[in-house]
Amino acid sequence: MKPGEVAVLGVGMTRFGVYPDRSNAELAREAGVAALRDAGISFAQVGEAFVGYLFGTVMTGIKAMKELGLTGLPVTHVENASATGLVAFREAVYAVASGRCEIAMALGFDRMSQSLRAGSGSRGIGRDEIDSVILPAAYFSLWAMRRMHERGTKPLHFAEIAAKNWNHGALNPKSDRQPDHVVTAEEVLASRKIAEPVTAMMTCPVDDGAACAIVARPELAQRLQPGRPLVTVLASVLQTETYTPGHTFVGPVVGPPSMSRDTAREAYEKAGVGPEDVDLVLVHDAFANEELEYYELLGFAAPGEAEKLVETGATRLGGRIPFNTDGGLIARGHPGGPTGLAQIHEIALQLRGEAGRRQVPDARIGLAHLVGGGSVCAISLLARGYTA
Amino acid sequence: LAHSAARERVPIEPGFFTIPDDPKQPPRLLGSRCRACGEHFFPRREICAKCLNQGTDDVALSPRGTLYTWTYVYFPMFNSKRGDTGGYGVGQVDLPEGPRIQAVLSGGPGDFQIGMPMELELEVLRENSKGQDVVIHRFRPVSPRAEAAR
Repeated sequence: MKPGEVAVLGVGMTRFGVYPDRSNAELAREAGVAALRDAGISFAQVGEAFVGYLFGTVMTGIKAMKELGLTGLPVTHVENASATGLVAFREAVYAVASGRCEIAMALGFDRMSQSLRAGSGSRGIGRDEIDSVILPAAYFSLWAMRRMHERGTKPLHFAEIAAKNWNHGALNPKSDRQPDHVVTAEEVLASRKIAEPVTAMMTCPVDDGAACAIVARPELAQRLQPGRPLVTVLASVLQTETYTPGHTFVGPVVGPPSMSRDTAREAYEKAGVGPEDVDLVLVHDAFANEELEYYELLGFAAPGEAEKLVETGATRLGGRIPFNTDGGLIARGHPGGPTGLAQIHEIALQLRGEAGRRQVPDARIGLAHLVGGGSVCAISLLARGYTA
Repeated sequence: LAHSAARERVPIEPGFFTIPDDPKQPPRLLGSRCRACGEHFFPRREICAKCLNQGTDDVALSPRGTLYTWTYVYFPMFNSKRGDTGGYGVGQVDLPEGPRIQAVLSGGPGDFQIGMPMELELEVLRENSKGQDVVIHRFRPVSPRAEAAR
């Protein structure tokens, strides 16, 4: 796929939150209909669909797709843990780039609040039991403690990042967390300790929701949507772990951190741009200290310099390179399957200039990054007005 | 629960560590060594993750290592049926052969320091339906006394 060969035709999502009375199918329908309306097309025009979720059973995706209609289109299930939404997006992009269809849809949904309550999923069975003793919160706290040891990072740095994302969420009507006051780092630090040094407000909520993106050839997008800024895909890449000394094989593994660096390098190479060209970034901030690491791993700070980005406010809205403008996983939320498509939703709005109070002025290039357990890293780079 | 000295101990999952008959002896993690490049792995694997050679030898890894990083989780331990786990340590320990082991740590939040020597031990997670103790491997800081006795 060449940069700019595929365009984002439409996006839609539910507000993320806890919805005990709403089914996966209902959430999927709301997001799908919103994206179709945004794209200005009928479901009959969608040539192929990729549906992503973590916590359903077999067939959940295909049944949810039927909510939108029974048109005979090919539907494929995608699951890559937290990165699922961005991976479904990548498949949709390549379905169009390969010429397999003219218009493709990526639809993600999940009800993580219900799934975790019911105790489903793979934790606690056979080989998985030995992994499950250590929770993801512990895993990322291990990163934080090592970072503090190596670089002198303070919990305050992590708290500043979390407070920033909470406050970004207040500007996003689709965000789960929309605080009614300015959240301070002190407030974040004072919240309940989860795992040394991470506090509750530094972690993402367990959410329900759905999100959808529709992609097509740029010529078709321009024909269907004259007058709207064109949003194109520069690159959409996916990597798994590359073996490195000190690799951990047991317990939750979302790394090594070099996986994000390697994936970013591939994305920049394919896109023909560098971090200096990027105007906003959305990352996997399930835990606030992750975001700090990604400042360096994605090329926005030299090794050991990430703390300076926090101290100077560079990654806030209005700063040099805003991160998680929609609130990130910490505020906007993290249901699982739809999370990556919520990132595409945000970047598309930003590049069109439709992001309201959280608009990054003249945003031209946005980067979406997720890691997923197992593990994988997915990165997509989107641009405004780029033609192949 | 009956607390006899001779309760039978079974691993949480077979093939990950030894359970010595003599409780004074440390357990050993069961790893693999690549026949081609010599890289060590835990847990056991058939194909080398580094050079992709098919064929590894089984090895018992050193019960001692160095703490690379740690945290203390303020929740009861997942899957433990014991009532007394208000929280627990988790860490990554580098073994002299190379593997970095992610495991539960024994001790309180004030007991750990990056770079300190650690030793492997077994922890009873729960009792199974046959009345056996289900055990998992964990690391504890090497006590100064044990160190002096070496």
